[in-house]
Amino acid sequence: ALVVVCSPLPRLRALLQRCWERLERGLWPGVLGGQSPPWGPALAVQGPVLLPQGINDARESSAEAPSLLESILWMAAPKKRRTVEVNRCRRRHPSKLIEVKRNIDVCPECGNLKQKHVLCGYCYAKVKAETRLIRMEMHKKEGGPFNAPTVETVVLYDGEKPSEKDEGKRIIERARKRPSWFVQN
Amino acid sequence: MRLSVAAAISHGRVYRRLGLSPQSRLDLLRNLVTALVRHERIETPWARADEMRGYAERLIDYAKRGDTDERAMRMADFWLTEKDLIHKLFKVLAPRFQPHPGSYTRLLQIPSRDGLDRAKMAVIELKGNPLPPLVRPRRDSDRTLLNQLLKGYRQDARRAAAP
Repeated sequence: ALVVVCSPLPRLRALLQRCWERLERGLWPGVLGGQSPPWGPALAVQGPVLLPQGINDARESSAEAPSLLESILWMAAPKKRRTVEVNRCRRRHPSKLIEVKRNIDVCPECGNLKQKHVLCGYCYAKVKAETRLIRMEMHKKEGGPFNAPTVETVVLYDGEKPSEKDEGKRIIERARKRPSWFVQN
Repeated sequence: MRLSVAAAISHGRVYRRLGLSPQSRLDLLRNLVTALVRHERIETPWARADEMRGYAERLIDYAKRGDTDERAMRMADFWLTEKDLIHKLFKVLAPRFQPHPGSYTRLLQIPSRDGLDRAKMAVIELKGNPLPPLVRPRRDSDRTLLNQLLKGYRQDARRAAAP
């Protein structure tokens, strides 16, 4: 490796060159000069064969520790306590909050609250009670099960007479005044 | 090119899966159709009502053909489990809906069921039924801008026509 050192002082240059050579010798001792690398076996002796018990002991002692480590089922566990700031960020994220409903209105008939696309609960309960009473009257008129009439039906309240349109229809009488929300057609 | 159908994709499937099996689904819908024809207004989970609506309207289309039609009679026989309702279907509902071209049912949503499941409920009814109406048609109030302008126009027209 050519190192060009441009220094004005020749002594400094010599010093640097000597340092560089020493470094090279240290890194690649066998490359420069004819010296062999410092390591290597200084003395080679034919050593005795290890005793069989010694081999087994070595194997056991070496095999015990890895088997203990391998047989344990490693599972994930938190390393640190989640701080309250991190917890707050997760708990208050918009996707986790309950959505605010904006489709609630006031029913114009009764004044209760209702959802825009759903029938008013109060008005529906009112209509349901009235239909239940009408169906009880129908059941009384039919007498038994499976007696569905083969003609249309008309519901008349107190003091109402069937009109010309209601010719040939089965009449169901209800013993009360006509409610305001049940318009007669 | 994908040659097999992936398990969890159901794009474009029209029919809902109800009940325990396809047979059970048809039985469920058949019971609902029978109940609708008998009572003319029923309250049931919204999914079942929506599913049943198509079948009920097609049954009425078949009934409009008249009871001499063999296919119509077989359809009515299958779909109505209570056989006195076949008479009602052909003698009451078919003449009632003869002038209408389609959409014989009305499906309205109701507040969710009170029980633990809070199911989305609906009421489905045949139009023209004798029971009290569920929704009163509301006319716009007289105070809206358009109605005030129309009222003024009508007054002007009367004043111009009177003398």
